[in-house]
Amino acid sequence: MTQAIRKTAPEPLAPIAFNTPSPFSTTLANGLRIVIFEDRRLPLVSYRLAFFSGDANEPADFQGIGAATASMLSEGTRNFSSRELAEKIERLGASISASSSDDFTMVAASSLSLYNSELLDLVSEIVLLPSFPESELDLYKRNTIEHLKFQRSQPGFLAGEQTARILYGEHPYAKTSPSPEDVEKLTRDGLVDFHARTYLPNNAIMIVVGDVDLEEAVADIDSRFKRWMPGEVTETSFPQFPVARERTLTIVDRPGSAQSNIVLANVAIDRRSPDYFPFLVMNQVLGAGASSRVFMNLREEKGYTYGAYTRFDAKRFGGDFEATAEVRTAVTGDSLKEFFYELNRIRNESVSEEELNDAKNFLVGVFPIRAETQEGLTNLIVSQYLHGLPEDYLQTYRDNVRAVAGADVKRVAEKYIQPEKIAIVIVGDASEILTQAESYSTEVEVFDTNGNRLDPDIYNVESDGQPMDVSGSWALSIDFQGQQIPVSLNLTQTGDTANGSLETMLGNGEISGGRVNGNKLSAAALTEIQGETVEFLINGTVNGDSMSGTLSAPVVPEPLAFTGSRSR
Amino acid sequence: MSEAFKLAPLHIEEYSLENGLRVVLNRDDAVPVVAVAVYFNVGSRNEREGRTGFAHLFEHMMFQGSENVPKAGHFQFIMKAGGTMNGTTSSERTNYFETLPASQLPLALWLESDRMRSLAVTQENLDNQREAVKEEKRLRYDNQPYGQIFDLINEMIYKNFANSHSTIGSMEDLDDATVHDVQEFFRIYYAPNNAVLVISGSFDPKTAKQLVDSYFGDIPTQALPEDIDVNEPSEVAETYREWEDKLAPFPAFLIGWKIPPRRTPKFNALYLAGKTLYDGDSSRLYQKLVKGDESVIQLFGFTDERRGPSSIFIGAIPKPEMDLSKIRAAIMSEVRNISEHGPTADEMQKMHNQLINDTVRMRQSSMTRAQHIAEYTLYDGDPALINMELDELLNVTPDQIRDAVREYLNTDNRSLLDVVPAGKG
Repeated sequence: MTQAIRKTAPEPLAPIAFNTPSPFSTTLANGLRIVIFEDRRLPLVSYRLAFFSGDANEPADFQGIGAATASMLSEGTRNFSSRELAEKIERLGASISASSSDDFTMVAASSLSLYNSELLDLVSEIVLLPSFPESELDLYKRNTIEHLKFQRSQPGFLAGEQTARILYGEHPYAKTSPSPEDVEKLTRDGLVDFHARTYLPNNAIMIVVGDVDLEEAVADIDSRFKRWMPGEVTETSFPQFPVARERTLTIVDRPGSAQSNIVLANVAIDRRSPDYFPFLVMNQVLGAGASSRVFMNLREEKGYTYGAYTRFDAKRFGGDFEATAEVRTAVTGDSLKEFFYELNRIRNESVSEEELNDAKNFLVGVFPIRAETQEGLTNLIVSQYLHGLPEDYLQTYRDNVRAVAGADVKRVAEKYIQPEKIAIVIVGDASEILTQAESYSTEVEVFDTNGNRLDPDIYNVESDGQPMDVSGSWALSIDFQGQQIPVSLNLTQTGDTANGSLETMLGNGEISGGRVNGNKLSAAALTEIQGETVEFLINGTVNGDSMSGTLSAPVVPEPLAFTGSRSR
Repeated sequence: MSEAFKLAPLHIEEYSLENGLRVVLNRDDAVPVVAVAVYFNVGSRNEREGRTGFAHLFEHMMFQGSENVPKAGHFQFIMKAGGTMNGTTSSERTNYFETLPASQLPLALWLESDRMRSLAVTQENLDNQREAVKEEKRLRYDNQPYGQIFDLINEMIYKNFANSHSTIGSMEDLDDATVHDVQEFFRIYYAPNNAVLVISGSFDPKTAKQLVDSYFGDIPTQALPEDIDVNEPSEVAETYREWEDKLAPFPAFLIGWKIPPRRTPKFNALYLAGKTLYDGDSSRLYQKLVKGDESVIQLFGFTDERRGPSSIFIGAIPKPEMDLSKIRAAIMSEVRNISEHGPTADEMQKMHNQLINDTVRMRQSSMTRAQHIAEYTLYDGDPALINMELDELLNVTPDQIRDAVREYLNTDNRSLLDVVPAGKG
């Protein structure tokens, strides 16, 4: 080939049309809606039985019950034990799983189509006849509590937890996972009741995709689910999201962290918003992929990070927009600067025709790739039906993308991306990050990885390299409504970590992993009081052998001031 | 049931260009999508001491532009055409792949051929990608609880440096990489006669061949790199190590065994033994440890397939206060049971259905097909093995599994890595 022909990218060949399959739809007498897409490419079948209620619909005093109920469906039924179910499913080479998300609950099953009938038997068994055995629930609870602890070692979880709390306030979306106490409270009776009230055919849709015959598929579902009794679907009313008034900075201190996990977030759109397609294209230009602006800037030009992206999560009742990157600690502030540059640029400048077309071409072209596997096609179909998108959603998707204009991109960027009201959440080493990031907000809060609030001031010290040694026995006096109460604080310091105990009239509390920065101490003491673990937070400033500061605990409304001195 | 199940063979056409590039076409018109995979016969196994992490650093350099494609242009061209792409590095090979609307086959071949022909290696690109790789190392390994344990156990299993060192490499070695090193690496390993090109999906074979010929035909052949020695003694290098993990919230352990190369009858038998032990909720160890004894939070296991000596791992994150040695004894007691009795008839039937199911699902994606075909071509010299892979596994007998477990797993010749949380105090 001549050099000349190599110089420019080749023209594409003639396009080949991609025809999305059309559905067959019907409803059983009990209200169960059935939608079937024939997909005969390979001998496979996929089922999704989805319910129009999820974690957000849980009763406030039963957090975590939706996930528990879904998980427990396959842990025992009227006819089979947990082990028998696992063996029956896996002996078919099939998979069945059940899970809940914020808005929906879904049972997903797939297998070779030759085992269609056996698979559907098992789906109906776990959905209609779960027995929620006590022993299995106990195991679920203990494993879930361990898992919740494990999550706290993951920076991504910690960032998501704070982001949701700030954006969603009193709305149930604010809670990304239940607390160990929530899980502890779950009971078999609670699950039985929750299952009876929410697993209703008139609150569900059965989506079938695969190598099936339409009439047989309807008859197969009907014979197994027709005796399922409908019930009253409880409507949930939700509090509004809080209105962001200023930019906030929230740091989760993860001492020694090699990286800062940065999230910048605004509340954005729900899934049915008319701004969905403009937002999709805008996000593609700004940060959805490896050729988008923030990736090109933070990774390709600056080398701050392995990847920098923006994304949006459009849920049933609202959602958020996030810009995220994991960057090395030393460039946390520089990364914020580049993020804000890009957030402002997409709001203030019109996107070029070329960038717009590139983003749209990507979204249009990648659509058939996403539908290449039955799993991928099924996911597209599921999101259409769960969110009540138009019947021709799959057919018109690419036209809807193509119709987005440059002005639409700028409009949705201006409307939803609010750099002056954005929530900045950073998980990393607070002593390194705070000075880099604090100029971005007057509202600064710091938490430890357990979600306890720390005093940001302890990081604001002139660093002379070495933290003060706070080791020793401290006799402190607390001012409680004018009364002086003695407490004793025993500390041993290693590096910048302090361990020890706090002795109060209420009992002894263990201190593990307290932080010393310069002459500031921040530590939590876990104290057992009448069978409950109460956390006392100590924030102190040390001056030679004297210390002053505050002690706070959930049982007292305001932090209590203390002063005291050390006997070495 | 499984005996009656017959899969239609995939259509495979194989040929070579004069410069030695091996080309495989797998036409399948189910969806108007085409996947292109280019596999180079170079991985971390080719790295010597003091130069670890090069194969992977080089993978990043392949996205930094070539004579007619600007820096980062590869991403851009693929994405604006509606495609997806990536590259990965393992001990065995470095691969590059893209999936595009079928009409964009010429673009994929233009991009892949331009960088095979004329990669742009500059100091600036090298410095920038070195930083990106260091961030990747921090993100995936250094800043993750348990993120380093798989690299550590490979050091414990393998004695040969070609096998034992990590793919991500060391920060020091990455710092030492010079532009000259990178250029030499390119010349030696990124030659057409050291590569395999696979096209899978919807295309006209005649057009595809013409395009391949015109884009790749004039890339010059290079002397092939020297063969490397990946041989190992059968003993593991180190049987026990304790590792303090600052980010781990719980203790954990990982057991590794050294086993025969991929696709040997013994490797296949051990792969299936692994499935019996740890794959799925009805597997022996899940039922025993997660369910019966309720002693572990998480159980996992997998095989690492290599052309040379390979490995199999079983690991667990036990519940707090659990006696780790008891859990390990329980694992070894199941291993012993299989070494004496083999898997049951029920277990064999389950495995057969799972293998068939997995194979059918694998065939849905043109990219997955292309990747499997490329491996068989590069490692075994025969792309048509993709049509035999299911039968190869279905034909393994329970006795073969029993005997392989007896020889390789039910032995003290194994590596144990104990992870101790060191975050607090």
